[in-house]
Amino acid sequence: MGAAGYPPARHLLSDLGIEAESIAESDTLARIRATPHIAAADGGVRAGVLATLVDLVGGSEAMRAARPDRMVTADLTLQIVRPAVGPFVEGRGRVVRRGRTTLVIEAGVFDVSGDGSEATAGAEHAPPAAWATMTFAIHAGNQSKASGDEGPQLPARWSFTGAGLEGPVVDALSLSEAGVDGDEVSMPVREYLLNSFGAVQGGVMALLGEVAAIRGFERAGGLGGVVVTDLQVAYLATGRVGPIVSRTMVRGGDGPGAAGSRRNAVIELVDEGEGGRLTTVINVGAVFSGPPAGDRP
Amino acid sequence: MGDVIRTDGAVPGRNVGEYFRLQRWEIPSAPGGLPELAGRTPVDDHQRGAGGGLRTGGLLTSVDSIGGMLSGLSVQPQWIVTTSIMASISRLSHRGPLRLRARVLRRGRNAVVTGLDVVDEGDRDLPVASVTMTSAVLDPGGMELHFDRPIHSAMPPPAADPQGIEEFFGIEPGRGAVTRLDLADHLRNPWGILHGGAVAALADVAACRAVAADRAGGRDGPGDGTANGDWRGDGGGLAAGDMVIHYLRPSRVGPVEARCRVLGGRDGRTLVRVAVYDLGADHRLVDLASVAVVDA
Repeated sequence: MGAAGYPPARHLLSDLGIEAESIAESDTLARIRATPHIAAADGGVRAGVLATLVDLVGGSEAMRAARPDRMVTADLTLQIVRPAVGPFVEGRGRVVRRGRTTLVIEAGVFDVSGDGSEATAGAEHAPPAAWATMTFAIHAGNQSKASGDEGPQLPARWSFTGAGLEGPVVDALSLSEAGVDGDEVSMPVREYLLNSFGAVQGGVMALLGEVAAIRGFERAGGLGGVVVTDLQVAYLATGRVGPIVSRTMVRGGDGPGAAGSRRNAVIELVDEGEGGRLTTVINVGAVFSGPPAGDRP
Repeated sequence: MGDVIRTDGAVPGRNVGEYFRLQRWEIPSAPGGLPELAGRTPVDDHQRGAGGGLRTGGLLTSVDSIGGMLSGLSVQPQWIVTTSIMASISRLSHRGPLRLRARVLRRGRNAVVTGLDVVDEGDRDLPVASVTMTSAVLDPGGMELHFDRPIHSAMPPPAADPQGIEEFFGIEPGRGAVTRLDLADHLRNPWGILHGGAVAALADVAACRAVAADRAGGRDGPGDGTANGDWRGDGGGLAAGDMVIHYLRPSRVGPVEARCRVLGGRDGRTLVRVAVYDLGADHRLVDLASVAVVDA
């Protein structure tokens, strides 16, 4: 999927090993193996990776529905209902509305076995582990002719296969500290993270927002084991130059940071190489899942 | 010459903004910049929910009013219609009044994105909500909207006969996980379509009812969020937190019906998918929302 030659040989989507399938004119699914490298503190696949998965599902769906027009993700929301633990995690999307300038898609995330069946015994119609929505902005008539090998009426499969992650997915982002007190996160823009339009992939921005929020929550105090459960992402402009730097505003929440208490934050991502242009705003919700691993009995 | 609506920011009549006694004022921009808009709502007792503060559906009504107006001002002489609201709720208990501040994050040819912060002015400006809303730019046609700038409207006085949120919005329980709203004239915006805040209020009430119905079904039936169709209780003891609404199509006819599905939950929160249909317009899907319901 994507423009010819995309993704390149070394790319995050390939290292995540995403497999996708168009199963009907308005339904797409994509699957990823749940590994420790992409796990959050509660053992479920972390929110930023799920956002990457559903963005791919939604983007594939939108590309088919909007062709020959080009589309870009305008917003993405993801809410985790329970930890997505696999063995595989599958995103399933469908078009809710196709308008003249926008397209809205909803997607569910499910635990499935290797053959694609529901992982929970007897759960043929099991509730999702997460629910997502996306809005895509449609730009008239300029989708690349090479932008898709999946005809709108034909079933199609594709996969991104790479060497795989060698460590935690966050390490693959090459993050560094930024800000006066090192309380912010900086991410260089590399081909490894780009979408087919040459900008940082929307899911990667969501993952960066998740990382920045966890850092902010941990620095604000409270017991460790922060798990991001909610992402509300507004894409305002593309990140093309870099580095992409976070600005974190912890917005409080209930309780003193004990297990089960919630926290909220607003993360702004700016493109420093574009004069500090605001590219993305992310509302983040998280829960403290318990003491840090080292403090557990 | 088309209709001219001349206003200082408050539309005449006992409308949605007046019900929440929403005060508004414009914060002028620096040269070349975009204005900001602020608001204040007092949190009257009859508008409080199980969380102890203004119900989230009510809060988002004021958010839609402030954010929508700012978005519209930023594209005049064109105007806007809200297409989505993403609300992250930090606190459900409020002393009030609540103060809202909106700024334009992005103004494009087809859409405006606005960010709003809500704080509890009566409680040390503690954060209450962070909201991002998107509006589509539209041609106002023959209607000309005129505003006296800078925008300033005083806080309306308390109502002599206060109504609860469900009564004001005409929200009535249906069977099981279904809740309805009558599309009364005072709930329409200047374009004649259902106010976005009314949809938020409906989603709030409907989602809380759906969780209560699901729990009742857990005792008496399958408890899958769609069963227990004879249940007609309320969502007492439950409160809506984070909410996402996609306004897919305008609701013009009514009544509108919210059909809920309980998706599951963790850490004291239950996620509900809310699909809203305009029954008078061939039962078409008009809004899609998700609501995180918490035990208050």
